[in-house]
Amino acid sequence: MTPTHFTISSAFLLGMMGLAFHRTHLLSALLCLEAMMLALFIALSLWSLQLDATGCSTAPMLMLAFSACEASAGLALLVATARTHGTGHMQALNLLQC
Amino acid sequence: MAHIMLTLLIGMVLGVISVASNPSPYFAALGLVLVAGVGCVVLMGHGGSFLSLVLFLIYLGGMLVVFAYCAALAAEPYPEAWGEWSVLGSVLGYLLLVVGAGSWFWGGWYEGMWVPVDELIEFSVVAADSGGVALMYSLGGGLLVVSAWVLLLTLLVVLELTRGLARGALRAV
Repeated sequence: MTPTHFTISSAFLLGMMGLAFHRTHLLSALLCLEAMMLALFIALSLWSLQLDATGCSTAPMLMLAFSACEASAGLALLVATARTHGTGHMQALNLLQC
Repeated sequence: MAHIMLTLLIGMVLGVISVASNPSPYFAALGLVLVAGVGCVVLMGHGGSFLSLVLFLIYLGGMLVVFAYCAALAAEPYPEAWGEWSVLGSVLGYLLLVVGAGSWFWGGWYEGMWVPVDELIEFSVVAADSGGVALMYSLGGGLLVVSAWVLLLTLLVVLELTRGLARGALRAV
């Protein structure tokens, strides 16, 4: 594994671990999701650049568009949560708790 | 050049650790700005200047600005930065993990591996990544129309999620 591949792989996995081991805020979990998307964007771009496969350059662009959609949906959920439960804390989302 | 790339890649990993350790969202957004900036310079070092520009404009200038405004929802009197022990424990744990995994690969890395092969190996009027993105408008036109439709759909999804008061299950007020 080249150093660049190791870096982007570890960036993705660290973001995923940050999302899994979230603490208080929903927004910090969403930011970890954004870090994963960023690592994926850099990975796709580097794929196209390192292989001199210029046709693959469309993949990171479209991925960025869809990641913007996902981020806006997540933020809309955050706003809805904050206005319903009063806080953006994960402890407030306890309706399914037994 | 190899030293520059080493510094940038280390900066990227440290930035993602600063986001993944889950401090208060203000500081996590700062860490994400650092990762995006350093990632842009990594892409530029590999010759992808257009993709780096797109990342800066759309990701930092569009998405992260929206995240920064939503950080107002996470206002608390004592925001936890990376000096707080609960966050620092996560930082040290992730650092240990990355250093451990890196030490497993370290033996096989030689000097030439850090630097990409030059992208400008043949003369061309159009830069590689710009020319590739132009393909999105010609052969990839169908997917462009689909993604435009998806963006419109997302707008409607967001408006429906934040409507509240009479329709939808998420908003009680």
